[in-house]
Amino acid sequence: MLDGMLWFTLACSAATMVRMIIGPRAADRLVALNVLAALALAFLVLRGVREGRALYLDVALVYDIFGFLGLLAVARFLKDKAMGADERADGRADGGGDA
Amino acid sequence: MLDAARDFVALAAFASAVVFGVGGIVGLHRYADPYARMQASSLCGTTSVFSMFIGALALAESVEMAARLVVIIAFFLVSSPTGGHIVARFAWNSGLDPWRPEPNRRRRRAGFPGSAGSGPSRPAGAPGDGAPGEVEPAGRDGE
Repeated sequence: MLDGMLWFTLACSAATMVRMIIGPRAADRLVALNVLAALALAFLVLRGVREGRALYLDVALVYDIFGFLGLLAVARFLKDKAMGADERADGRADGGGDA
Repeated sequence: MLDAARDFVALAAFASAVVFGVGGIVGLHRYADPYARMQASSLCGTTSVFSMFIGALALAESVEMAARLVVIIAFFLVSSPTGGHIVARFAWNSGLDPWRPEPNRRRRRAGFPGSAGSGPSRPAGAPGDGAPGEVEPAGRDGE
């Protein structure tokens, strides 16, 4: 039963990676990244329970924390990049040469 | 007896995880818009993964594994909706309009022949229509 759920998690991750590759916008890729982090966490937990080792569950908890921080960092980076592009476009429209 | 009960609980939880996971993945690929995809994917990411955690908790062998699983469940219960909120705020702040059906086609199907082909596909400033062009500037300034 745990083996079947491990394969199901892998199949869901593959389908989510397809969306992350073909996603037309950055928001689609971020949505897929969010799902992928949750699925990787579930994979680690199921694998740790199947092997009977509590160390894998510690790894899963740390992965969850860092996946959340990584999502936050990527979203902030993309937002700053978009706002910087807007400011550069405005400066160019006003005739400023700072771009 | 106890092992049979644990297996039954785990089987029910894993069946729920498969149902919600397949629904979330299908919604992630079928919907037309990042907001709708986010709705389907938060269904998948929260309910399916949470059911997997409950099944793993039923199958846990020792007390220390169960305690770690409870900590992981508590953190995931906080971090998953927060991550979805961050993605939604990023999509809204980056100027992405929500998807809506084309009004020309809808009115033509509903039987208004005069309004068919009246300009662009989306009336940007139509009053009372609830178009997203009206509510955007007030909503996107706030952090």
